[in-house]
Amino acid sequence: MTSKSLISLLLAYGDDELILGHRHSEWTGFAPHIEEDVAFSSIAQDEIGHAANYFMLTARLTDDDADRIALGRDADEYRNAVICERSNGDWAYTLARHWLYDTADDIRLATLERSSNTELAQLATKMRREERYHLIHADMWMKRVAHGPVEGRSRIETGLSSAFAEAIGLFEPIELEAEAVDEGWLPTPSFELKATFIERASNTLDDLGLPTDVRADLDESAEFVASSSGDLIASPDGGDAEPAQPTGLGGRSGEHTGDFDQLWGELTKTYRQHPGATW
Amino acid sequence: MDVYEVFKRSGHKEPFAHAGAVIAPDSEMALIMAKECFLRRREGEHLWVTRRSDIHSFSDESLLEIAADKSYRFPEAYRDVVTKREKAKVRAKEVMAERNAS
Amino acid sequence: MTYDEKLARFNEHIEDGGKVETNDWMPDDYRRGVLKFVEMHANSEIMGALPERECLPIAPSLRRKMSLAAKIQDEVGHAQLLYRVAEDLGKSRDTMFHDLVTGRSKFHNVFHYPVRHWGDVAIIGWLIDGAALVTQAALRDSSYAPYARVLKRICAEEQLHLRHGEHITMELSAGTDEQRAMFQEALDRWWLPIIHFFGPRSNVAKDLLLRWKVKTRTNEDLRQEFLDRYVPKILELGYTFPTPVPYRDADDYLVRDEDIDWEPLNDIKKNQGPETERRLTWRRDIYETHRWVRDAMAEPAVHAA
Repeated sequence: MTSKSLISLLLAYGDDELILGHRHSEWTGFAPHIEEDVAFSSIAQDEIGHAANYFMLTARLTDDDADRIALGRDADEYRNAVICERSNGDWAYTLARHWLYDTADDIRLATLERSSNTELAQLATKMRREERYHLIHADMWMKRVAHGPVEGRSRIETGLSSAFAEAIGLFEPIELEAEAVDEGWLPTPSFELKATFIERASNTLDDLGLPTDVRADLDESAEFVASSSGDLIASPDGGDAEPAQPTGLGGRSGEHTGDFDQLWGELTKTYRQHPGATW
Repeated sequence: MDVYEVFKRSGHKEPFAHAGAVIAPDSEMALIMAKECFLRRREGEHLWVTRRSDIHSFSDESLLEIAADKSYRFPEAYRDVVTKREKAKVRAKEVMAERNAS
Repeated sequence: MTYDEKLARFNEHIEDGGKVETNDWMPDDYRRGVLKFVEMHANSEIMGALPERECLPIAPSLRRKMSLAAKIQDEVGHAQLLYRVAEDLGKSRDTMFHDLVTGRSKFHNVFHYPVRHWGDVAIIGWLIDGAALVTQAALRDSSYAPYARVLKRICAEEQLHLRHGEHITMELSAGTDEQRAMFQEALDRWWLPIIHFFGPRSNVAKDLLLRWKVKTRTNEDLRQEFLDRYVPKILELGYTFPTPVPYRDADDYLVRDEDIDWEPLNDIKKNQGPETERRLTWRRDIYETHRWVRDAMAEPAVHAA
């Protein structure tokens, strides 16, 4: 009998890759520099390819079909973190998210390399090789913009201020996480991965001389809410009240935003309209 | 003195290709030397030299590997178009027969 | 040497099948003509990315999503190669981009049209890329050598795209009634634009680019090659043609000149096609709101703090 917690893990990470790859691919033909357009398209293709890896493994375990899993589920069955589904915004937001996501992905792939499911462990090693390039790409851009003229710098700060908080959603526990950890599918629990992520990302931001307040108190107990502009503001009622729900959570249990509804409609359109067709 | 990398092109239709390197004090002399070292039998019709220190490369060339499945970027991935074409033709005949019958 | 002597020598060189490199002497009309032609080709590649880009979100399988993304990526790569060639003739990429987004320069007619569903991907990949390959293969012998060289690579990739497009077409054609109807519906919309793609009959006496062998074949000649090659394949798949309906004459498939309505092409030449404004506005908005990226890239090298 297939472990439900293993499937839960594969779907959560696979959906992250699929949905972010879909968003990345929307830049094709529009990226702000032609050479970068070509470069970023490969990253989009890689992410979709990683999703295919996760889904093919899932399909084998559940006697399903990878395309059905990718394109044939109801909206609330997708388990991606909310940050992946957000509209691209400008290049600064896209870049901030790309950098945060690939930093996070590197951390979780490092732990998956030790997964008790050998297929998943091998897959993680393979994907991590590719992610290494994604990280070099993202770091290079962050460095250039952070050290560049004022406008770019301030835009990347704005991009980070909404993306960093939501990136924490990548480490929201998956469904049946306790079992996944016990079984060794996920050798390190999400809260530990999250701590590693926050430390590593914060250190890099320090190195880049980017303000660190955007990442202050990113713990689950932190109290902050998103203003309508997407900037983080302190929760007005201080520490005594019920902790405010950090943004960017809920994805792992299928709660998504309006941005996802739009994306899902397109993503699944052709597949759902033609049941049983081959393409 | 510097190392100058030498590139030659054999004709208008070809790209420049690396031919070797010469040691010279400046680009002018590098060109003259490269001409005799690499093109004295007219192995090329065009010649470039560039200082090696102006050439950049990845320190880790394994970055150039294609890690994931990118077979769709290569023609081999579409080889089965032949069988698909045959299937499509059979299907077309059915459709055309139905159309003629009605 | 006087200008007339230089020109005479240049014409003789071209007549003998000679090639021209960027730094060679060339008449101003040659330089301007090649620049405009290559710039339009480059514009067409980057604008040509958009219709397919609009189909990318609705791709029906993971494999098709990745392969379509890779195909569009190649088109953007072609734009990159071609803008480089054009730039070396004396116009900066930024100026070319500015002229494109403000509607001052042109791009191919087929990229002014809307897409509706996956059937469009089949038509674009198979027939429009097929048409493009017919014209581009002829340009590999162009007298302007830097252009001919990049076309070698472009054509090799277009061959792959053609396979990709045919693969999608055959899958639809062997599929359900709805899938076949998708292809037919798209064909009905695209057929006239594809006929237009090759342009009206060439005026051989007046066309400087033909005389200087920048272009090597006439529009009607290229259109005929396309018809002869693709009409039988489309018929074999059981599809029908809208006007201009091709008819058979000995070994050729012909369309009557009087069946071709050139009006839509005339609108497009004024940048007034069905999707021109929307796609250009989209590109212009991103171009204008991302000046800061160009500024950041214009800064000298950065190294770790």
